[in-house]
Amino acid sequence: MSTLTRYSAIPYTGPAPTNREPYVPTDTQKMDARGAEIASRIGAEQETGQDLPTLVVRRERIVETLRALKNDLTFTMPLDLWAVDYPRRRQRFDVMYQLYSLQNNERVRLKVPVADGEPIPSSLPVYKGFDWFEREVWDLYGVRFDGHPNLRRILTHEAFQGHALRKDYDPAQRWLCTEKDVAALVPKVDPRFERVDTDFERVTLNLGPSHPATHGTLRIVVILDGEKIIGAEQEIGYLHRCFEKSCETHTYQQAIPFTDRLNYMSAIINNVGYCMTVEKLLGVEAPERAQHVRLILSEFMRIADHLVCIGTNLVDMGALTNFWYLFQPREEIYGLIEACCGARLLPSYLRIGGLAVDVPPNFLENAQRLVNMLPKYIDDVEKLVSRNKIFHDRVVGVAPISAEDAIDFGFTGPCLRACGIPFDVRKSNPYLGYETYDWDVPIAEGGDTYARYLVRMEEMRQSLRILQQAIDRGLPSGPVIIDNPYVALPPKEKVYNEMESLIYHFKLIMHGIQPPVGETYFQVEGGNGELGFYIVSDGTKNPYKVRCRPPCFAIYQAFGQMITGQTIPDAIAALGSLNIIAGELDR
Amino acid sequence: MPIVRVKPGVVRVEPRKLSVMERIYFPAIIGGMFVTLRHLLRNLFNLKRLPIISYPEVKRVYSERFRGRHILTTREDGTTRCVACYMCSTACPAECITIEAGEDERTREKFPVRYDIDLLRCVFCGYCVDACPEDAIYMTGDYEMAIDTRARAVVGLRDLVVPPNFPVEPMGWRPYYGSLEKKGTAGGTGIGQPLRPASYPDDAPPNPDVYRGT
Amino acid sequence: MPVKRIENPGSIIERKEAAPPGEDAEKGLITLPGEAERDIEDLGGGSYLTTKLDTVVNWARGNSLWPMPFGTACCAIEFMSMVSSHYDIARFGAEVVRFSPRQADLMIVAGTVVDKMAPVMKKIYDQMPEPKYVIAMGACASSGGFYRMYHVMQGIDEVIPVDIWVPGCPPTPEGLMYGILKLKEKIERGEIRR
Repeated sequence: MSTLTRYSAIPYTGPAPTNREPYVPTDTQKMDARGAEIASRIGAEQETGQDLPTLVVRRERIVETLRALKNDLTFTMPLDLWAVDYPRRRQRFDVMYQLYSLQNNERVRLKVPVADGEPIPSSLPVYKGFDWFEREVWDLYGVRFDGHPNLRRILTHEAFQGHALRKDYDPAQRWLCTEKDVAALVPKVDPRFERVDTDFERVTLNLGPSHPATHGTLRIVVILDGEKIIGAEQEIGYLHRCFEKSCETHTYQQAIPFTDRLNYMSAIINNVGYCMTVEKLLGVEAPERAQHVRLILSEFMRIADHLVCIGTNLVDMGALTNFWYLFQPREEIYGLIEACCGARLLPSYLRIGGLAVDVPPNFLENAQRLVNMLPKYIDDVEKLVSRNKIFHDRVVGVAPISAEDAIDFGFTGPCLRACGIPFDVRKSNPYLGYETYDWDVPIAEGGDTYARYLVRMEEMRQSLRILQQAIDRGLPSGPVIIDNPYVALPPKEKVYNEMESLIYHFKLIMHGIQPPVGETYFQVEGGNGELGFYIVSDGTKNPYKVRCRPPCFAIYQAFGQMITGQTIPDAIAALGSLNIIAGELDR
Repeated sequence: MPIVRVKPGVVRVEPRKLSVMERIYFPAIIGGMFVTLRHLLRNLFNLKRLPIISYPEVKRVYSERFRGRHILTTREDGTTRCVACYMCSTACPAECITIEAGEDERTREKFPVRYDIDLLRCVFCGYCVDACPEDAIYMTGDYEMAIDTRARAVVGLRDLVVPPNFPVEPMGWRPYYGSLEKKGTAGGTGIGQPLRPASYPDDAPPNPDVYRGT
Repeated sequence: MPVKRIENPGSIIERKEAAPPGEDAEKGLITLPGEAERDIEDLGGGSYLTTKLDTVVNWARGNSLWPMPFGTACCAIEFMSMVSSHYDIARFGAEVVRFSPRQADLMIVAGTVVDKMAPVMKKIYDQMPEPKYVIAMGACASSGGFYRMYHVMQGIDEVIPVDIWVPGCPPTPEGLMYGILKLKEKIERGEIRR
């Protein structure tokens, strides 16, 4: 088990870092060919040498290009929209669109270069799901979207001045927000209910941001007609911790603790996503043993994520006992993680190129004990609630969303699978060897709160299946971090005793990892759906841009529509079942 | 829950239809009560299996990798191992370590004149331990750190350095396990270093067990 | 001190016996000059009767803290761990978690407080009845942690007074319980007079 085996006795003779040369993705030829095909069908320019088919579109043509991609080429799902700032260019912003085709399982990226002050036509008529993404780009970059009905700040507060993710914005410049600056939020009444005249008075009710049912920092303003919600609007940004700007001011290695705190329920999965993106950019791969441990811990984290989601959801509905039953196994999972890396909730266990340390000797044994222990707790909860009429009355048919709407909003993960769409990144773009395991993607019909509960319960069982197979295979022997002193720190026994390793050690700490110039995107299946990281490297030790594709963000923007026509208790039950994690939502 | 295989790799979870008995609501409630009662009885007659940890009389044993409060180790002659190379403060994502370096007059060896860790900034990620090339900083198993003034949160050499005979093995988060044989003490003799001021009279002597969390 | 392990076959978590509160091992490791003198100093002064009455009142206050979790981020999950099955804060009278500030007297700020949240937090603090105590749980609430950024408040004491800081990111549930015990001690010593 000693990590002495990590390094051979021979000094490192591999390639030196090539941070001055551009990054070449491994499958760029295939992507270029596909990109040329798409570009010729759409009639757009193509950018070659990317890891995804990439089109460069002029801003005037963006809506028609998106429409053509959606209607002719089945790119029905809006995955992500973000921007990158290159202040030295005349057209300083690249606004990026990323779309996904469920039918062909492929992604496409669109780049729209715009100058400061130039507006882009809003893509809302084509994809509803870009609503908040466009607001975010406006908020953080100041790129205006023409025709957006509600283009106001989303993550920062009303008194904020300037656009924070621009390169010329001072990262420490704060703006004071007082109670006077908080604008009164009045949602629009849904057109379906506008004409309906009831005997009740219309009441505007504010829920949150500090409310037991809002799980942290969500704020919902609803208009009530009697008990029925006839209009709702969500306000977010109460936990905007500047993840992306923080990454730009820290090194690649230092960004790992920041990724922990995105979806803090399943921190290891975020680590995996980030580290694998940087590894993709560097063109390295973690050793087998590290990958195996990553997979095991990811699945445990997914279970822990769902445990808290279901537990707190049931607490909101008044079933407190389940919370105790579900937190018990979660604490045991913490025990396993803590034995590996010394922290419970936010482990920071992964490093770029592998793991921080090897797992403890009794790791598999304890993992097996946990796998044996967990079904009991899951069954108990099922016994308590699944035949319970109160629970059924609270969840069946509550806050449903149709499959078409869910895709149009960019839903991923359990919430999309609850609509009957079997989309799972672990199946569609397998990583860490998920394709070699025997497991199923659970789906359910209806897209309501009950369906989401069913999917999450079954997903935990499927995760247990994966875990059982992974434990049966045993840990591959070998090192846990790659043998490349430009990426991973040399082992300590060498640092203490060898001058060469000591110099590598100093160089890596001082100068950091310097990946080749380029951009890349990689996605993993997080607790809530597709968690993607897009990284631009300019060859220095700090990432030029880190974009996190937050699954919650896309899901939560549909919440207002989902609860319109329902009652307040329904809204609470639905909110818990969506599993909105503020750390990931606001970043 | 009944499960139907839709196609290879995809299963559909069928919603459970409630039977008439379940619809009457009371039998299901009583069934649920039985689950709770079973838990109660199992716990009553099997107190050993209770998950509860009655802190502070009973404490949880965290692993030897636990990332708690830091210590600075010393050489046999009582000087700090730290050579003020600024590696830890560079690697720290929270920038919570402040070091001022001094120089040993005879050996030209650097040593820290001031070494402050702001515990309230620290995120306990362990990067400082990974970065240290001198085996000088460890994280201990000590998590009882609550403080009542902000000034006390900045711990300096007086709180961090442990005596030379302090048993540091096994102790908290250590970089890359395995044998860590160290060649000599990197030349530091401690001749030019000023003596640290004596401990305050009300200082309890460091208790290794508490630090270690065992 | 020999470590006495406690077996629990149903769990992978190990346990051990520790010194009961009030004994040596419970004393904080970070010491400041003059800490020992402080407890004597504060109880002096005043007539005999009022001192005794104060002591009783403080004792009552210290043993019936009703926390209101102002949970925003990761630390709130650890707070949930503390009130869930593995830890027992009810032994110190602080298990009645109230989500309404008007029914609580201890505000546990768990998680990052950003500038947008600041007015909300201030308002909630103002709504709490006197006497009220605040625990800043974790690095973010205490000092902003490693988020030295354009939208993050650098510690909640920019806006509201804090009685106990609990370092950690996030602190373990024991760490937070230790903080609550420290606060209890502090109240019973009569140090907090608001």
